[in-house]
Amino acid sequence: MSFFNTLLKKAVKVTVFQPVLPEEARNALFLRAAHKLPPRRTLVLSVGMRKEEIQLVPSEKLDLDEWKNVIKSDLPKEGPEILEHEGDSSLTAIREMVKMWRMAGKIVPENISNEQLKVLMELTTKSSRKKYLKYLATKEHLKNAKKEKQMAKRKIMLEKPIETEEPSEPLNTLFLKFQPRTFACMYNWRAARAMKFGQPLVFDMVYDKYMTNMEIQNTISQLLETEGCNRRSPDPFHIHFCSLQTEGPYQKEFLKRYRETWDKLLVTTTEKAHIEMFPKEKLVYLTADSPNVMKTYEHDKIYIIGSLVDRSIQTGLSLANAKRLNLSTARLPLEKYLHWEIGNKTLTLDQMIRILLTLKDTGDWKKALEFVPKRKHGGFVDTQNYSQEKKELLKKRKVYQFGSSPKNIDKSLSSNLNKEPKPKRWWEEE
Amino acid sequence: MMFLCAFKVPSVLHTALRNGLPFPAIACHLPVVYSSLFYRHCLYKLGCFPFTTSPKFTCPENCREPPAIKNDKPIKKEGRVHNKTAFPFSVFSAGAAERRKLMLKWTEETKDSKGRVSKQKTHKVPSKPLCAQEWKILKEESNRIKEFEEHMMQQIVISNCDINVAKSLLVFAAKESSIGYKLLRNYLILCANQNRTSEIYDVYEIMKARFKTLDTSALSLFIRGFSQTDHWEESLSLLETMKKVVVPSRRDYSNCILGALGKKKWKIAWDLYYEMLKSNLTPRLDTLKSLFDTGKDLKDDMFKSELVEVLLYMRHNRVYPDEALMWSIKSWFESIPGENWKGYVSAVESSGRCPTCSQSLESINLSQEEYGSLKDVILNDVIQGTDTFRKTTPEELQEFQTFVASHPPFDIVIDGLNIAGIFKRGCRSQILLSVVSYLAQRKLRLLVLGRKHMLNEPGIWLRQHMDLIQQRANCFFMENISEDDPFLLYATIHSGNQCRFITRDLLRDHRACLSDIQIKHLFLKWQRGHQLVISHYSPGNPVTFQPILSYDTIIQTTGDTWHIPYDMDNVTRASYEVPRKWLCLQRQNHKI
Repeated sequence: MSFFNTLLKKAVKVTVFQPVLPEEARNALFLRAAHKLPPRRTLVLSVGMRKEEIQLVPSEKLDLDEWKNVIKSDLPKEGPEILEHEGDSSLTAIREMVKMWRMAGKIVPENISNEQLKVLMELTTKSSRKKYLKYLATKEHLKNAKKEKQMAKRKIMLEKPIETEEPSEPLNTLFLKFQPRTFACMYNWRAARAMKFGQPLVFDMVYDKYMTNMEIQNTISQLLETEGCNRRSPDPFHIHFCSLQTEGPYQKEFLKRYRETWDKLLVTTTEKAHIEMFPKEKLVYLTADSPNVMKTYEHDKIYIIGSLVDRSIQTGLSLANAKRLNLSTARLPLEKYLHWEIGNKTLTLDQMIRILLTLKDTGDWKKALEFVPKRKHGGFVDTQNYSQEKKELLKKRKVYQFGSSPKNIDKSLSSNLNKEPKPKRWWEEE
Repeated sequence: MMFLCAFKVPSVLHTALRNGLPFPAIACHLPVVYSSLFYRHCLYKLGCFPFTTSPKFTCPENCREPPAIKNDKPIKKEGRVHNKTAFPFSVFSAGAAERRKLMLKWTEETKDSKGRVSKQKTHKVPSKPLCAQEWKILKEESNRIKEFEEHMMQQIVISNCDINVAKSLLVFAAKESSIGYKLLRNYLILCANQNRTSEIYDVYEIMKARFKTLDTSALSLFIRGFSQTDHWEESLSLLETMKKVVVPSRRDYSNCILGALGKKKWKIAWDLYYEMLKSNLTPRLDTLKSLFDTGKDLKDDMFKSELVEVLLYMRHNRVYPDEALMWSIKSWFESIPGENWKGYVSAVESSGRCPTCSQSLESINLSQEEYGSLKDVILNDVIQGTDTFRKTTPEELQEFQTFVASHPPFDIVIDGLNIAGIFKRGCRSQILLSVVSYLAQRKLRLLVLGRKHMLNEPGIWLRQHMDLIQQRANCFFMENISEDDPFLLYATIHSGNQCRFITRDLLRDHRACLSDIQIKHLFLKWQRGHQLVISHYSPGNPVTFQPILSYDTIIQTTGDTWHIPYDMDNVTRASYEVPRKWLCLQRQNHKI
């Protein structure tokens, strides 16, 4: 019997503990235990063993709770650390919580600064906190990704020159390489000309109290983009930032983004409202809520765009402003030219200026409305759905159809298109 | 299109009729005799509906039903019960929105009926515990080597399979690398789902030793796991830790309260309950249910007064019990010693009288001061808001106010554009004219609100119709870009309690302008009592309206009786709707 027991013990030791435990643990656990076992234990062991042998594969029972021992064995010996910032316990608590959320797989940033934590604490609702943390996390992720990309690029750059180091012959060229400076100079000339003779375009900066901090930041980003587009265009607008309060939130954000360039910017900034600067009858307020649809672009009008990003629902805000001042209003003919599908009909400021610039240069609605985001519409309105009479009219003068697929264009007409040097557009004659 | 209409409209109304209700033209005025003759008569009438063309589709045999209703047998049954008692069905009754949705769906032809297929590829979960080698093979087979354990554990949780499988996975993970927090938490979810209390405690010990703090989801899982066990006090301390960082959810509170009740610590339970109310959480219905259930076994005066407090809280915040809670309340009342309460389930008559105790319910009319505050709120919040120009202009508002003030109070204010658009067919001005003349015949003082374009669009708004309308009613035409609904509200409220307004609009956006939740409730109560919705219109026939209930649907008491409206389980109620069924409780000792 005892012989059998030792045999069995050995078998168990080999089969069960071999794969399961690390070497030291196995020695420590099993050998010492075997030594200490009183003779009576062997009997008990044999019975238990036999039972298991009969019932199931020997490894089953032992396996299942083993992870607990493993976890307990790699616990830190010193116990929990002493908290560093004992003064501000709530901040530490929430910092710990953010850490745990990250471990639990929630979208939260890895590092969070004290200022960000304070902002987080000020938010009252759970969902707003979640949103803010998610925002921080994406920001952090983008930053890290950019850094990584740069590192990779630098690595390549460091390796490259060694391979392609050849003495290059001096080339015979007409120009020196165009520097960005050259372009900047040209753009500035154009902008300066626009300041003198260009058509004014007004950005109405009275909406700061309707926006959250984040929305103001977005607005300024869009305005930066807008100004860039305008500068690069062949015939820029003369941009006016009207009702721009010095020391206001708009101005502060502008200074943060532009820094010293702000004073050299070729735009007009003024605290005066647009109605004080321009004759009232020439002003047209562009707003998506307007009942009037813009038919043509007028070169002697002064268009006003409200610099507003509203993530919350604030309908009729700019229309209310226009109503108050008794200005004429207009909206873009989006429904007329596009199969609108999803999304708000309010466009971003840079999309607006691209559309207006294109309209100003070409007067072509189709080209202008290319800048409406593609996700919002399902293509341009097809003229095939027009009535017979209208179609006849169009056929006589048509240059192209408002069809997205080239199949829709008649061959004769498209050849026509090539022949005519500058065809007349159909709306000009309507 | 015509053909489709002919198909659908009678069928929809047919189902509606079978469900009981929206035939208030008859339901209101006549005692309904539910006979097949009547049934056919109704359907024939429906056949004359302006959309329909052929009487062929009006027989019940030819009517197709939307499939959703077919499955919903209990509703049908309930509906018949109501029909016998001629229960009126207003637009604010529970289930009205659901029914409209069904109708719309039916007309739209349900396109996206296919269930969405989840894109994520799911791995098959092993049915029995595997040893490390087998897990390893499985890991190599799957193409996600990274986070394989986490993913597998998630799948195990989703399919809720044997806990031993999860354990064996943990063993494998422990050997392979180490057990991360996420893995442990997912394992905890599985334990909590299967109520393995000892296992939960083990995990708790491990996690407490391993990590300095726990995240909120793990905390709530532990609270849930511990509340029913001997470690329930641990759950209270966990709740305290949670409070340091976030406001615990009402589920956490609910679990703690359940735990305290299970261990007969009444005071702790009530403290937690009031703490929950203080942090603006609405208690879950099952928490309330457990309170009432405990109260039944406990004959304690303190506990009783607390429960009455709970009922008053429900009254104040318009919390309506569901069926399970209703039965608990009923049995609690009936168990109060020495008071001899008796509870009945009843449907209140349209006159506002409870059929079982023949007592009148609270009236839906507002008190004088409530009226005054509502009037101010509508003017300040809904019309003016932050900027009067957003909805109208100050001149127009002034003009309208003088217009309303210079006329004697109106009986009915009509939203002209809404009424005219009620049916797609037919001339818009014709529809408006017929509604106006129908009401004018009853010698009612009318105000029709419209926009200026109604006066100079001869193609749509016929001149002679508009002239007739202006003869029969007072009209106010506002700018085309102004909103008419706020004016409608203002004119109605200004005219006083007897004045009603007609629109199909549920005015949800205007309710959203109101800041205070109590004012919102007040507005809704007023709206329920004063809004007329046209239920049936056909040229030449009298216009019928959905009924306005004369009583308020709210938990109410007179000391000797309680009336508690409750939600039926098979009816989906929108937030602005009110339940249709009532629990009537009465004390009977004074009769004996």
